[in-house]
Amino acid sequence: MRIRKKYLFYVLLLISSLISAAVVSIDTTISYFFIKNPWVFGFSAFLAGTLITLILSLILSIPIDKRSIGSRIDPSFSRLRLVRKEEIKYHIIAGLGNAITTIGYFYILSIFIDPSSILPFYQIVIIYLLIIESVAEKNAPTLVEIQSALIVAFGAIMASISLTGEINLLGLLIVFLIINPSWALFSIYQRKLKMLRIDNKNNDAINIRFWNLVFTTIFTGLIVFISNRSYFFESFEVTMHYMHYLFISMGVTFFSYVLYIRALGIGKASTAQAIRASTVLFSIPFSILISNYIPFSLYLTPTLLVIKIMGLTLVILGIVSYALTEVKAYIFINIRPGYSVEKIMDDLWKINGITTIAAVAGKYDIIAKIRTRTLVKGYERIVRKLEEIEGIRNFTWHSILKEWEEI
Amino acid sequence: MIKAYILTVTYAGKMEKILKEMRKLENIESIAVVAGDYDIIVKANVKTLEDLMKLTDKIQSIDGIKRTTTQVIEKEIAL
Repeated sequence: MRIRKKYLFYVLLLISSLISAAVVSIDTTISYFFIKNPWVFGFSAFLAGTLITLILSLILSIPIDKRSIGSRIDPSFSRLRLVRKEEIKYHIIAGLGNAITTIGYFYILSIFIDPSSILPFYQIVIIYLLIIESVAEKNAPTLVEIQSALIVAFGAIMASISLTGEINLLGLLIVFLIINPSWALFSIYQRKLKMLRIDNKNNDAINIRFWNLVFTTIFTGLIVFISNRSYFFESFEVTMHYMHYLFISMGVTFFSYVLYIRALGIGKASTAQAIRASTVLFSIPFSILISNYIPFSLYLTPTLLVIKIMGLTLVILGIVSYALTEVKAYIFINIRPGYSVEKIMDDLWKINGITTIAAVAGKYDIIAKIRTRTLVKGYERIVRKLEEIEGIRNFTWHSILKEWEEI
Repeated sequence: MIKAYILTVTYAGKMEKILKEMRKLENIESIAVVAGDYDIIVKANVKTLEDLMKLTDKIQSIDGIKRTTTQVIEKEIAL
């Protein structure tokens, strides 16, 4: 065992954030030099994005050693497939969420001179996610989760805010009432898609990303068409003309999202969102890089520098406290004679926090692995549920004190 | 591909040494130190049952291991 992972979830999200920091600087460059109209840029990015994602997904479908290349990124992936009936309603909501977020983002870019004073408030989406999760997934956040989420969100706001722009009420309303709710829908429904089981296997991130782009492109096209027809048609020309730049931007974005969606299958959307806030950290070297050729307000007053350092510290601190407050355990289960092991496995899979279920031959019948934030929640959300399953005769809980895993 | 859990019980005071030895072994997916009836839970990922036997042999021969029980996985659902 050479490399060991402690938290695949965190590794996936941190790489995803690093990539998306790179994308932001690529996009800034494209919009500064080539496509100045944000509406046209938004729609043509999705048009080209669907095409490049199709090409990439097809390449990833090529089998090498009987396994597709893509299965090295997401083990559940075998090849690109058509969207399934049971996925469509989730894709519609996720696609709509993504389209509205994007349009909202570009709207803010187009009406405010300095959007950097408003865009940091995107991070507040964590609060929406926490609320949605506690209502919809019956998964009330623990105090630690709320604390860490707020620390990260406020840290990210402090780190990315600029003191030059004024905070504008209309901009804040758009962020709080339109962009953040639709982004929350987008992440929650992508997570639901990842949790779906297709052909008795877990859904894979690559197909989800491709089909999400297809739906997003349709919705974005519709919104742009309704609001301004000339932009709609101009987008197609721009796409043809700047295809290569858009391919680079959206090709890189593809990997960022595939890793993000894969991580969503492992942990909660709010936690994933918090770690994605580390994009703020990774964007620093990229900002310095692009400031070489784009006149860009990198100037810092001492006050602003102090605020930024405080913000970055908070982001790191919040992520670390997320990572360190996790409890994992193995549960050994014996079932009563006459009950189907498969049925019980399906029942177990519905419990939040169960990450692996294995039917075994030996002293026990099922070994389940669980992950929870605190032991109290482990009792409330898992042990109580286990006791409700009729076929289970008894079970023993073994808390994991320390663990090494192969990546 | 065969996967199995190897549940091990150890003698007190040997944990660090055992873990150091175990982490060198091949065909292991994860090693978890747990609190309960067992002390270490090893998840093995081997090609054949013979490899599994070789692995359990190696684990049993580590100084400090009291006994092991192997649970072969028949079906697995994982994230």
